[in-house]
Amino acid sequence: MELTINGITQQLEVRTVGDVIAHFGLEGKPVVVEADGEIVDRERWGEAELRQGMKLELVHFVGGG
Amino acid sequence: MEDDRYSRQRLFAPIGDAGQAKLADSAVCIVGMGALGTVLASHMVRAGVGLVRLVDRDYVERSNLQRQMLYDEEDAAGGYPKAIAAERKLRRVNSEIRLEAIVADATSANVESLLEGMDLALDGTDNFQTRFLLNDACFRQGIPFVYGGAVSSRGMSAIFVPGVTPCLRCLISSGDSDGETCDTIGVIAPVVDIAASYQAVEALKYLVGDAEHRREALVSFDVWGNQHFEMKLGAPRKDCPCCQRKEYPALQAAPDEAISLCGRGTVQIAGSRPLDLERWRERLAPVAAGVKLNAYLLRAELPEGERLVLFPDGRVLVQGTDDFVRAKTLYARYIGS
Ligand SMILES: [Zn+2]
Repeated sequence: MELTINGITQQLEVRTVGDVIAHFGLEGKPVVVEADGEIVDRERWGEAELRQGMKLELVHFVGGG
Repeated sequence: MEDDRYSRQRLFAPIGDAGQAKLADSAVCIVGMGALGTVLASHMVRAGVGLVRLVDRDYVERSNLQRQMLYDEEDAAGGYPKAIAAERKLRRVNSEIRLEAIVADATSANVESLLEGMDLALDGTDNFQTRFLLNDACFRQGIPFVYGGAVSSRGMSAIFVPGVTPCLRCLISSGDSDGETCDTIGVIAPVVDIAASYQAVEALKYLVGDAEHRREALVSFDVWGNQHFEMKLGAPRKDCPCCQRKEYPALQAAPDEAISLCGRGTVQIAGSRPLDLERWRERLAPVAAGVKLNAYLLRAELPEGERLVLFPDGRVLVQGTDDFVRAKTLYARYIGS
């Protein structure tokens, strides 16, 4: 389906937020996901269904300092 | 005006005379006096925060000078602890506030005493383990934790306020990790200044009592890639072990005996007893080359190629290895078990 991820519109073969995380190889990384303006609880990534045209933001926490 | 040190800040209406008085009455703790910490400390001290506590476990090295703005070549040559070098510099900036330098690693054993009497904690750390510890300790003590991070050209900041916002554990899990640190993929100084300045401004808003202007978002940016994004923090996660279940996991865990300072080629051994540095200088001088003692730490170059750095609180840094077993072997060989 068509999704806009961090501002870039793209076609991905995914169903859930978890699939997107896996697609970008972000499992186990300190990442927060926002879908259409709402943070998706990380425990619900696997079941959180996506819809055509959704806007996702993947925010990768920064550890340095 | 009898004292114009803060005149420009007093003229800024949201602070004003009342806010300036509140700042003078405030106490903040900065944990980690690296790149973020030095910028944070400079802002807090110049703004006139009454008590600024500086906590750091490390000492100044040449590779710090590119971005850790309070240190100079003399500090690196002398191998001074960062907390001490920063205090010395900041005293000349503002002699009218109180500064406390603490050379220590923040652990579950000491974090609550480090935060005792503080109005908030500012994150100057370079690792998530210490951030989760601070997050838990701040939420237990009911004071804000002001997160900041910077690596490569990317930075981030958020203020977590107990009873008001989610906490760090609501957003990411303590099991998450990646290898991206300033020591593996580098960092440029401007992004650190920006991240720390976002932290500092949220601290000032909180300290002067301007809750209305609190930034309710996690701000993130890539200053090289020209990206900027704000994510609304929303509500706390219902079963968060810190801010909801109030279990504060990091405070329950015993301090680690040995930790790797990620990407630094350094293992820190906590040690179990204080070290008399003068005595250790005499002991190590015959077996190690270049044994150097200053008022705060002892450095010894080992024949094996590694370097030991001893602190009076019992900590020993084994530099030149990431291997726990090797570090512990060297520790046992020279310091004892
Ligand atoms: Zn929480």
